Amino acid sequence: MTAITLSPRARKRLINRGLDTLTWLVVALMLAPIFWLVASSLQNDGQLARGSYDLLHPTLQAFRDMWKTIDFERYFINSAIICTVAALLATAFASTAGYALARFPFRGAKPFGLAVIGTQLIPGSMFLLPVFIGFLWIKQHIGIQLFDTRVGMILVYTAFFTPVAIYFMRSFFQAIPRDLEEAAQVDGCTPFTAFVRVILPSAAPGLVATFVYAFLFAWDELLFVASLTEHNAETLPIGIRLFIGNYGQYYGQLMAAGVVATIPVVIAFFAAQRWLVRGITAGAVKG
Amino acid sequence: MSTPTLQPEVRADVTTTTEPARSPGPKRRSRPNRLPYWLIAPALVVMVLVHVLPAIGGLVISFKKFNLFTFRELFGAPWNGLENYRSILLDTDNPLHSGFWGAVSNTAVYTFWTVSGTLVGGLAIALLLHRKMPGQRVARTLMLVPWIVPSYVVAVLWAFMWQSDVGIINKILVDYTHLLGHRPIWLLGPNTMWAIVIPSIWRGLPLAILIFIAGLQAQPAELHEAAAIDGAGPLRRLRFITLPLLRPLIGVQLLFGVIYSAYQFAIPTVMFGSNPGPDADLMMTFIVRQSFSNQLYGLGAAASTLLMFVMLAWVAVWYRAFRRDLEVS
Repeated sequence: MTAITLSPRARKRLINRGLDTLTWLVVALMLAPIFWLVASSLQNDGQLARGSYDLLHPTLQAFRDMWKTIDFERYFINSAIICTVAALLATAFASTAGYALARFPFRGAKPFGLAVIGTQLIPGSMFLLPVFIGFLWIKQHIGIQLFDTRVGMILVYTAFFTPVAIYFMRSFFQAIPRDLEEAAQVDGCTPFTAFVRVILPSAAPGLVATFVYAFLFAWDELLFVASLTEHNAETLPIGIRLFIGNYGQYYGQLMAAGVVATIPVVIAFFAAQRWLVRGITAGAVKG
Repeated sequence: MSTPTLQPEVRADVTTTTEPARSPGPKRRSRPNRLPYWLIAPALVVMVLVHVLPAIGGLVISFKKFNLFTFRELFGAPWNGLENYRSILLDTDNPLHSGFWGAVSNTAVYTFWTVSGTLVGGLAIALLLHRKMPGQRVARTLMLVPWIVPSYVVAVLWAFMWQSDVGIINKILVDYTHLLGHRPIWLLGPNTMWAIVIPSIWRGLPLAILIFIAGLQAQPAELHEAAAIDGAGPLRRLRFITLPLLRPLIGVQLLFGVIYSAYQFAIPTVMFGSNPGPDADLMMTFIVRQSFSNQLYGLGAAASTLLMFVMLAWVAVWYRAFRRDLEVS
């Protein structure tokens, strides 16, 4: 027994190595499903249906076939257009509203701030049907088709993700020193031109982070697109389920489609990672 | 919501009289400051159009007899009083009554496990990643990845892995490690709850880890060092220093975690279709199915309203518990 008695120093080192190993095990476990997603996308459908794998002989066949099995391109392009435009608009609206909340103690600021959070409390199912009815009403009375159009989905998503974007932008504006506007106003800017010419450019990282954040959420949305579209404006979450349908079990292609659907958000995320992380943690720390 | 139209004028008069005396700056502003209202106007308009008015519409529909037959009349559909509410809450003859309560209890179970799993797991992993170690940055970045994977990809991926015969999870649990003697069926029956809880935790963990790490980094190291010198072991330091200091962060995540989980829709829907079965049917899947597959719009709206009031009650309870943490931060 005496052989395994360790000095306190050695014991501490052993514990540390153990905890390091545990950390990497946890990392591996968290990434395992993603590894499996990618690994399966590189197998063929027949093998996957039998549950057999040949990881040493990957094939890109599924990535080629997935565009033919279903009209995946349509879903992908719809997602890309709707989410990009909606996230841009939400960021634009949120940048002005977030600036107002961060800088002006205007009357109604507090109720407005509360209303912004309040929107997050309304379950989507509650206003989904009225939005649908609203679309029908607009079609009847104004003649603008919104149901099953990209414009309709962009409108809905813009409104959807504006509230979170406002809080995001507000925390970025709060981090900008006030001297900046004051200096700009001394130089002859009005409050609004100071905002456009001086504050917005220095909040660029915040704008990027907010855009990416809104984009990630829009990319993920299913409830509204499932009810407010039927063909033309359908997006990825609708399309992806068709690989497993009555007419076939294309698991390889399903996983390949999953990889393709994830790539845009991974790129967006890592492009803006530093600022995004700052925005999320700042928001959470401030409440 | 209508205050901005009237109130600014009142305030503006006050500011114009006081401002010249207070700030003899180079650019004297004598006009009332309407700028903030112009700045919030676009956001306000879209929020009123897509959130507020439709939510009021939803509330109105919950008191109407609104179904396939009356749909053409839109808001002219006959009033139904509290009948929608009564039929799902109390009417034992209504077949949807038990479905509703089943969804209520499933949602409670789902929310409890998802939120507690995410917070406890997130804190534990954040503590691990807070330690200095080689490759710490890489480990932290890799840990974020599951959060970026879209919910519907999470759902199809896990449904694929949960398959009883050929899925990788049963292969590992049964064939490779022999941890289990039989093959569990994950996508049917009671296990369906775990089939949605576990992917939800998996996807939620990165955000919790991220927030907890930020909170841990903000804690003054001297506090921990002083406690260590006074002889407090790691567990006591966790209990009496780390956790109390993390309380506001735990609070924020509890608040939004519960709301987000209670409104979960995508994962069960993509995994199981519009009817996830009696063991995994959540409030949102129940409401959407009754509204859009069965055209019971009034009933769905009543259930939505009830769900919203439960969440309002949760916010009130939360506020009482965490009010003092809000003031600190």
